[in-house]
Amino acid sequence: MKHLIGRRALVLVSLLLLLLGSVGGAGAQDPVTITWWTLASAESPEPAIRAVVEAFEAEHPNIKVDVTIMAESAYGDLMNTTIGAGEGAPDIAYFWETPWLPHTLDITDRLEADPDLSRDDYFEEYFNNWAVYNGRVVGLPFTVGANFVMYNKDVFDEAGVDYPTADWTPWEYIEIATALTDPDKRRWGGDRPRGPFRAIWRNIGATKPYSDDSATVEGYINGPDAVAAYTWLWDLVDSGATPTPADIEVLGTEGTGPVDLFIAGRLGMATLNNGHMITAANAGVNFGVVPEPHVPDNERFVHAWALRASIWAGTEHPDEAYEFLSFWAGPEGQRINMEIGALMPSLPAVLEDYPDAEADYFQGFMGVLNATQTAEWRATHPCWRGAVIRAVSDAWDLIMLGEIERDEVQATLDAMVEPGQAALDECVPRLGG
Amino acid sequence: MILTRWRNMTTQERRDAKTGYLALSPWMVGFAVFFAFPILATFYFSLTQWTLVDPPVWVGLANYARMFTRDPLFLSSLKATTLFVVLSLPLKLVLGLMLALLLNLKIPGMNVFRTVFFIPAVISGVAVSLMWIWFLNPDTGVVNTLLHYVGVQGPYWFWDKDWALPSVAIMSIWKVGGAAIIYLAGLQNIPAHLYEAAEIDGAGKWRRFWRITLPLLTPTLFFQLIIELIDAFKIFTEAFVITKGGPLKATYFFLYYFYEEAFRNFNMGYASALALFLLVVIMGCTVLVYRTSGRWVYYEN
Repeated sequence: MKHLIGRRALVLVSLLLLLLGSVGGAGAQDPVTITWWTLASAESPEPAIRAVVEAFEAEHPNIKVDVTIMAESAYGDLMNTTIGAGEGAPDIAYFWETPWLPHTLDITDRLEADPDLSRDDYFEEYFNNWAVYNGRVVGLPFTVGANFVMYNKDVFDEAGVDYPTADWTPWEYIEIATALTDPDKRRWGGDRPRGPFRAIWRNIGATKPYSDDSATVEGYINGPDAVAAYTWLWDLVDSGATPTPADIEVLGTEGTGPVDLFIAGRLGMATLNNGHMITAANAGVNFGVVPEPHVPDNERFVHAWALRASIWAGTEHPDEAYEFLSFWAGPEGQRINMEIGALMPSLPAVLEDYPDAEADYFQGFMGVLNATQTAEWRATHPCWRGAVIRAVSDAWDLIMLGEIERDEVQATLDAMVEPGQAALDECVPRLGG
Repeated sequence: MILTRWRNMTTQERRDAKTGYLALSPWMVGFAVFFAFPILATFYFSLTQWTLVDPPVWVGLANYARMFTRDPLFLSSLKATTLFVVLSLPLKLVLGLMLALLLNLKIPGMNVFRTVFFIPAVISGVAVSLMWIWFLNPDTGVVNTLLHYVGVQGPYWFWDKDWALPSVAIMSIWKVGGAAIIYLAGLQNIPAHLYEAAEIDGAGKWRRFWRITLPLLTPTLFFQLIIELIDAFKIFTEAFVITKGGPLKATYFFLYYFYEEAFRNFNMGYASALALFLLVVIMGCTVLVYRTSGRWVYYEN
């Protein structure tokens, strides 16, 4: 009997070991699959996305990347739904909405421990504005975007006007635009800002719509700096040197800026972005790039943006997800996108290898990338974008439409305090300051 | 009561009833899943504060209190939407009828005209909006260019605070071909012998229209009125694509406000309250129209 029990125990233990062995063996052999939701664009087209996956999987045979390339229109809904449900969200994705940020994995420690990648590898302003939220690293900045002024050298030469320089002021902008304007040729000297509190606003007295603690509108939206900025806009509109909002709307490209007017030589100067810059270069336009004008001795600001590549906090494979994130948004992945697509990487060491990097205009673009960014008003002030801008937009519209006199700017801004404060008070408890 | 009726049924009646319910079930399931549940869920969410990605927080009637007491945008959007309904609804009803009368003429190639006029009704709203941006461009648009030829300085249309709303209303005429096809079906159902008898009696075209066409077309008019009314209250695409609610909130329509609250401001609780309010308004208007229909809609039976 004892013998029988001993034999049975032996068989049982052997089976158990065999089972455990097979499970362990399968775990070691089967690769982990992580999910990645992304979008295709001219900067990061589908072939570049596939090439990133292929290169990563070749380097990491134990990790498979299940990529889904989505339409932008569906992306937000799917992210909202899956994050809200707490299941089904991808391991890796762009987390561009502020309410999504609390649902990202904190990668501060992983990045610090990473021997191949560091926050210092990125443009500092882009990293601070797009990767850090409430003191924790919530992703990596993928690509760089910025606004700057492109000027058409041929138009300047024809009008006999000197090219602008980096130290120009907002008032010089109006003077130059006026000098370039030629109604007979249906040409405007420069365009208008397309929204308040972008760089030009901060560059005229560091204006902000409300206090840094997101508590007070009075004294900010109607403070002396804001009045100066809105009065500058009034002067610009009054000069007749800029196209109307209707012209910009119609002749702009995909609502991003009047690059078509600029390329056609109907705009001497235009505040555009790096995508437009490449479009103009490909069209053979003879142009230069300078930062937006600012008040001398004040800090220079730039309106800039990046895509925030993050890991979902609910991922079951945080280590593998980080491996992929640091590859895709690190030097290798961004270089692949730069070479196959037209991505401008957020890593200076990689961006320096951009095909046009030596061109004058590109050097002008590189010059704005280290300026302080106004992106904070979108990146960490969710109430500005969603609620407050809407409440105070009448002041902007009234000036754009030429509905008020110059000496009415202060009173118009004073009238914005109450709706602005109400919008802020409603929003901050909900979305945070 | 239902149980008593069921018990009193014969086997054949029960079998028929089961078949009936079975036939109805796809609609009932669809109604429950796609209409009843979402409406109930919307009502629940309207009593919460919900950012979409975090769990909803119960706030009771706070969203409704804000809507009715301290939200100037609620009033702005309601005003813009009501004005749009008032402007566009008669325009579409009258022009739709006029177009249908033209399309009902017996001339060669009429089917081609009918198709051409119907096409705009099936084109994407975004594409149509982009096209109208070009049509009504103050500087280079075809409308202002034509006005310029006759010595008239055209307005700034979508970019003028006084013209933006009328521009959107004018734009809605673009889809009038869809309404015209429905009217046309109604027109073709009017018995020809009535016109023949009236003609023999010496009635002119205008008299025949007032005494025969219009009365017999009132059921179609009633249907169109309800459909167009609901459609007008749901105006959104034009504001989203063209005006962004401006200038100066002139085209800040109710659904655009709803969209901004829900998907830009992450305020789904409040957006749900707005949606329910719009539902009540549309239902109220529909009931009102329905109640008056006994006085002006003519049914032969």
